[in-house]
Parts: sequence; structure tokens; C-alpha cells
Amino acid sequence: MVSRSTLRIAWRNLGRNRKRTILALSAIAVGQLAFLSVAALMRGFGEQYLDSITGPMVGHIQIHAPRWRDDRSIDVTLRHVSATIAEVLQDPDVERASPRIYAPALAALEVEGFMSVVVGIDPAAESHPRGLVPGEHLSGQLGEHRVLVGAALAQKQTIEPGMEIAIVGQDVDGSIANDLFTVSGVIPSAIDIVHSQGIVMSLEDAQELFLMPDQAHEIVIHLSNPDRIGDVVARLSSLPLLRDAEVLPWQEILPQFVSILKLMEGYIFVVLFIVFLAAAAGIANTMLMSTFERTHEFGMLLSLGCGPGRLSRIIATEALLLGLAGVSIGTALGVGLVALTSGSGIDYAALGGSASSYEAAFAGITMSSHTFPKTYVSDVAVGVIAVLLTSLLSVTWPVLHIVRLEPMEAMRS
Amino acid sequence: MNNTLVDVKNVTKDYRAGKVIVHALRGLDLAIHEGDFMSIVGPSGSGKTTLLNLVGALDTATSGEVSVFGNDLSTMGRRRRADLRLKSLGFVFQAYNLIPVLTARENVEFVLELQGVGSERRDIAFSTLDDLGMGDLADRQPNELSGGQQQRVAVARAVASRPRLVLADEPTANLDSENAEALLQMMRHLRDEQAMTFVFSTHDPLVVSYASRVVTLRDGRVVSDELKDPTSDAHEAGN
Ligand SMILES: Nc1ncnc2c1ncn2[C@@H]1O[C@H](COP(=O)(O)OP(=O)(O)O)[C@@H](O)[C@H]1O
Ligand SMILES: [Mg+2]
Repeated sequence: MVSRSTLRIAWRNLGRNRKRTILALSAIAVGQLAFLSVAALMRGFGEQYLDSITGPMVGHIQIHAPRWRDDRSIDVTLRHVSATIAEVLQDPDVERASPRIYAPALAALEVEGFMSVVVGIDPAAESHPRGLVPGEHLSGQLGEHRVLVGAALAQKQTIEPGMEIAIVGQDVDGSIANDLFTVSGVIPSAIDIVHSQGIVMSLEDAQELFLMPDQAHEIVIHLSNPDRIGDVVARLSSLPLLRDAEVLPWQEILPQFVSILKLMEGYIFVVLFIVFLAAAAGIANTMLMSTFERTHEFGMLLSLGCGPGRLSRIIATEALLLGLAGVSIGTALGVGLVALTSGSGIDYAALGGSASSYEAAFAGITMSSHTFPKTYVSDVAVGVIAVLLTSLLSVTWPVLHIVRLEPMEAMRS
Repeated sequence: MNNTLVDVKNVTKDYRAGKVIVHALRGLDLAIHEGDFMSIVGPSGSGKTTLLNLVGALDTATSGEVSVFGNDLSTMGRRRRADLRLKSLGFVFQAYNLIPVLTARENVEFVLELQGVGSERRDIAFSTLDDLGMGDLADRQPNELSGGQQQRVAVARAVASRPRLVLADEPTANLDSENAEALLQMMRHLRDEQAMTFVFSTHDPLVVSYASRVVTLRDGRVVSDELKDPTSDAHEAGN
């Protein structure tokens, strides 16, 4: 335990050489500030990633017929979709379950056709903010042979609302499926396949077109708490209706994103390491100088019979106080800076000197260059603990010096 | 006449400085008795500091025996010697020997805390300082005190826990004669009132005049050991 007098001596010694103390404090504070800023950017980016991934496109969990993912063959379907969805929604952690049909098809406005992907969805289930057709103004435009066309596709083929569009595909039996639809709107989407190739229609229309009553290719599930993915996957897999289906967490569907998130986390800790190496040098230098300067004082105390343990505790307390003060300032600055920027976000594109922000598609998901930094309490804690450990480690050398002191020799210096 | 506190028997102390061996003490005998107010004098290099360091358990003899309160120091390890210094001896050094970041009172208190004195140490520290005329200055830090005042704080720190023996190596070396006298009178007073034993080394004839016993060293040996009648001391009148 550290006594009050130890604390008092340590604290006042920090005030003895103000310039040096301020320098060390700044090194630590800037270190923590840098670490928290980088971490917040990475976290913001990571959350945005995760959000894009698990948002409209992938969800937290997906259900398919086995092997559908191999080549997305139209006839590999889930059956009893309504009953399955009703049952899935019984699970307390499941917030939404959205059935989907994906079918490549030829579309034509007049004579010339072009390739497209028909996406059949349940408008009611996809109307929420992170669904495929967020808002009543979009979801209300589906059903009764009305379709929404992806914005890029619409632009490329000059498709406008009100036009008639013919769709020709292959039904589950291998026969020709064709019908006429009305374009009710154009839909920009973060999901690349919808944006550039998609013709979105209601599940019923798609089931009818492709002869797949009460069937779908995929059920996308959103949870109220994404941390429970594992448990929910286990529960759903054991449902009798899903005995023959595959129930997968998003991590298994898009493993490359898991690696990206891991990489970003790794990057945070690389920054942590570099920054605290610098901080350690600052503290160690301060403590070493302060110890050597006080050799006479320590010799005097040893002569009086004070143990080297007490002197070491004074030095360690000094380093800890220095670290604690520095990391507090750094945390205040870091959290403050993040709070300032978290409202409007930061545009990487602007930082890079580009005039406009950009979006990039990766694995079918569109990412924005605009990020909202976010402070994680766990990152703050890691920073604080790293500084305190660094402080303690940095007194190793001073303590070795103290333990080796001979009282009378030390006093002569 | 009195209890023997310290017995130094045929002690030698050699220092090795590179290839040269310095014989600092060459077979020295000395007994320190309870109630002594002993001045150790002698030319520079005669071994005064070396002797005080041995008696103060700060160093060990090359040969011979030093026993303090009946403990043979040569049989004691570092730890036990540190403990002996802390619990049973008081030290006053030449100068600059306070903790600079602590006030006078805190300096005294800190050593009392090391000695294991409980919460009453605050009052003890203050009353000791007050007895030495430092009550008003108890909350000043060393850099706000004169050299003489700092030495009084050092004496207060040395005597606060009433050690049986106080050792002072040239305690007045950095003081003017007025401050030196004041310090000597204070120590003398403590010896009379608290039955403490003081041993101090000095060059200063004025300081010597306060002693009840004067031991003279030359070349690492005692060349004279005189008892003086303290009451015949001229300076006592002014006390
Ligand atoms: N640490 C040391 N190393 C080498 N020689 C020393 C050391 N300390 C003292 N001496 C030598 O021992 C002799 C006695 O020194 P000291 O006890 O300091 O004398 P005094 O205090 O009477 O001046 C001197 O010759 C001095 O140079
Ligand atoms: Mg000397």
C-alpha cells in the first residue's frame, strides 16, 4: 500500500521540475489522444462496415436450402416459407425475418432485352429503415405487377416510372416464365446487385412468375441484439421446419469482412503499441533523470534507515501519478475531439484532398468514405491500463539504481 | 561511571582507492557512555567521519569490534543495521539533508512514520520543532528556511523519537558562529532534559567548548580523551 506521505512526496516532486513534468505529460496525453482518435475512426468505420453488411443485404443470420449458395440455382428453394417465418419470429431475439427470391431474367422495354436480376421481397417486412425498400413511399410501390428498378440500371437503360417492362426467365420447372410489369419507381440502393441490376417486385409476384408457391431462396433475419447471433443460430437450426435448411451467421456468409474487421482491430493495437512506446520513453526518461538527481536525497534517507522499498514506492508512485495525469488529459482531449466530430462525421475523401466523397462497392456492398468516429469505453480503458503499466515498467531502471545504492556513497554525490 | 552504549575495540578501517589502500582507522578504542556530550576533533582526514559511520552502523570495520547497545555490528546484515539506525539512532548530517518537497513538520513526521509511530506523530513532530524554536516555521519548506533553521529541523528529526544516541558529523560546518552556538545549546539542552547521548565531530573550537568530553583523533587513532566539567562551561551562563 502507498501511504499518504509517499503520495505527498511523489506528487510534490512532480512539481519540482515543471518543464520536464509538462513535457512528459504532453507526451502521454498526445499518445492517448492519438490512440483514441485512431481507435474512434476505426471503430466508426468498423461499425459502418458491419452496419452495411448486416443491414439491408445480409442481415445477421440467413437461411437457405443447402447448396443454394453454390450457384444460386433458381430451383433450390426453401419450402413452407410462411410457416417458417411465423415460427422464426417466435424466437425472442429475432426482430425481423424477410423472405427473398433471386432470379436472373431477361428484361425488355421494347424490342431489345438486357440482363437483370429479379428480387422478390415481402414489402411489409422490408419497409423498415434498414430493409431493401425503406419507407412506405418505396414499399408501397410494390405488388400488383408493379416493380422498382435499380437506379444504375434505370439510368443505363433509360427506364422511367410508368413504363411497361417485360420479364422473361426460367421457372423452377425449367419452362419459360414471362410476364409484363409496370415500373412504379427507381430505387437507389447500397446493395450493388439491386442498384445496378435489380428489378424488385413483391414476393407473391415473383412466386407466381417463377412458379414457386410458398417458396423463397433466402430468409434474412435481423436480431434485436447482434451479440446473440450464436445462440439464435443454434435455436433456429433445431426447429423441425428448418431441419433440412442451412442457418448461417453473417460471419460465415462473408468471412472476408470478418478478416477486415480483425485487421482494423489489429491496426488499432499497432497504433497503441507505437504510441505507448513513445510515452514509455517520455516517462522513463523523466523518472530516470529525477532519480539520479535525487541520489543524495535517497542516500540521506537510506542513512536514516529508510528501506529501499519505500524509496522505490515513491518513484513508482511518481510515475503512476504522471501516467494517470497524462492519460486523463489525453482521454479528455480524445473523447472531446471524437465528440466534436462524431455529429457530422469525417470524410476520408476530403481528408485525402478529394473534392467529393466517394462510395466504393466491395463484395456487393457499397461503402461510403464518410465515417462517424466513435469512442469505445473499452478502448479508453485499454489506453489507460496501457499507460499505467507503461509507467510502472518505466521505473524498472530507476528502481534497480535505488536498490544498489550504498547510503554513504549516495550521500557524497 | 555510566552505562556503556557503544564500545569500539581495536578497530581498523581500510579504504581501497584504486590500487592505493588508505588506512583511515588504525586500531582505535573508544567507549561512549550514556549521557556523554562528546566532541570528536582532529585534523581533516584523521578519521572522524569514518568513526561516526562505523558507530552509526552505516559501514563495517575492516577488523576489530564495534558494538552498539550490546549488538556486535559485524554480525548484523544490511537490513538489521538499517533497522538499528532507524529505531535507535539519530543522525544529523552536515547540510542539505532534508527532503526538499516536504515542510519542516512533514520532514520530522516522515521519519516518525518510518519508525512506526502512529497518528500521534503529527503532534510529536510539531512539539519537537516548537521546543527547538521552530514552531512558527513548521509549515515552511527547506528552501524557505535559512541554513541554521534547516539544521534545527534536522536536529528535530533526529531527536523526535527520543533515540538513545544521536550522531552528528560536523553539524555546524555550514553555519555562522551565532547559529552554531544556538544549535549546540539546543542539543546540550536535549541531552540534559531528555537524557540523550550526543556524539558530534567538529573543527570548531567554539563547538568544542560545549562538550563534556573531547576525543581527539590523529591518523586514525585516539590521541587524547578528556572529560570536562560541564558546569564550568562559560557558555552555560547564557543559556
Ligand atoms: N570512501 C572512501 N574511499 C577512500 N578513502 C576514504 C573514503 N572515506 C574516507 N577516506 C579516507 O580516509 C581517511 C579518513 O577520512 P575521514 O574519516 O573522512 O576523515 P575526517 O572526517 O576526519 O576528515 C582520509 O584519508 C580519507 O581520504
Ligand atoms: Mg569528515
